[in-house]
Amino acid sequence: MEDIGGSSSNDNNNNGGIIKEQDRLLPIANVGRLMKRILPQNAKISKEAKETMQECVSEFISFVTSEASEKCRKERRKTVNGDDICWALATLGFDNYAEPMRRYLHRYREVEVDHNKVNLQEKGNSPEEKDDELFKLSNRGVGL
Amino acid sequence: MVMAEEEESGVSIQLEFPKGRVKKIMALDKDVKRVSSEALFLVSRSTELFLQFLAEKSAQVAIEKKRKTVNLEHIREAVKRHQPTRDFLLDELPPPSQPTKPDRPTQPAGRPKLDPPPRGTRRIDLFFRKPELDDPAQAQPPENPAQAQPPENPDQDQAQSPVPVDES
Repeated sequence: MEDIGGSSSNDNNNNGGIIKEQDRLLPIANVGRLMKRILPQNAKISKEAKETMQECVSEFISFVTSEASEKCRKERRKTVNGDDICWALATLGFDNYAEPMRRYLHRYREVEVDHNKVNLQEKGNSPEEKDDELFKLSNRGVGL
Repeated sequence: MVMAEEEESGVSIQLEFPKGRVKKIMALDKDVKRVSSEALFLVSRSTELFLQFLAEKSAQVAIEKKRKTVNLEHIREAVKRHQPTRDFLLDELPPPSQPTKPDRPTQPAGRPKLDPPPRGTRRIDLFFRKPELDDPAQAQPPENPAQAQPPENPDQDQAQSPVPVDES
């Protein structure tokens, strides 16, 4: 769970409520790389176009988040979840994103469950825990 | 429209954009209190798809206009062509550059055309030129160095080299 409301407001207060440009936009290198991958080999991208695209994707994030957040507020929930994002995409006219996102969400949850299982198994056999057990035993005077 | 790539092995957790930055942008909305990790993942993924879609459409516009470089005007045109994108994004784009007025004669950017100077004035660069002599024979230096005129002030050469003065 990501508790993002509090941390961001603290950051803004420290800077006198001013939001840095770099915090408001996604990195231009990532934007440029993704654009290059889509465009034809011989195509070029102007710096102005990259900067505009930075603004566009940030606006998209805010737009979708705002819609999902509004749904949570109406339903008196504090946490925005994956279903809210899928719903927001469909509501805002990005229906063709909503379905792939639902599939992503389903797979993501499966992967998360698998990760959690693996983590639990690893925790049981972790060398740190073994060392702790040995340390306790040695303190009690029990031979190894 | 670009669709999400699906892998049989499962979801690729690797995202194109840093999660921390996406989270900060989401947090700019004061109403957002908490966001689950899956919501953050989906926002990042959908943003990638949106960027790919917009880049693709902008490239199409550039090709239509026979341009190799995608610029702001191509993005603007791509935004206009997709209704949901136009609804939230068109007002956020910088205003289009003003077209130049055709009735004004175009001039090279190097030097602006100035009004002619009043009669009787001389150009300042004439002051720095050597005066052109009518008789070309006068312009040549004399062959015999003895013919050369001596300096008008003969003491001038001595004055140039300082002579030590005996203070006593």
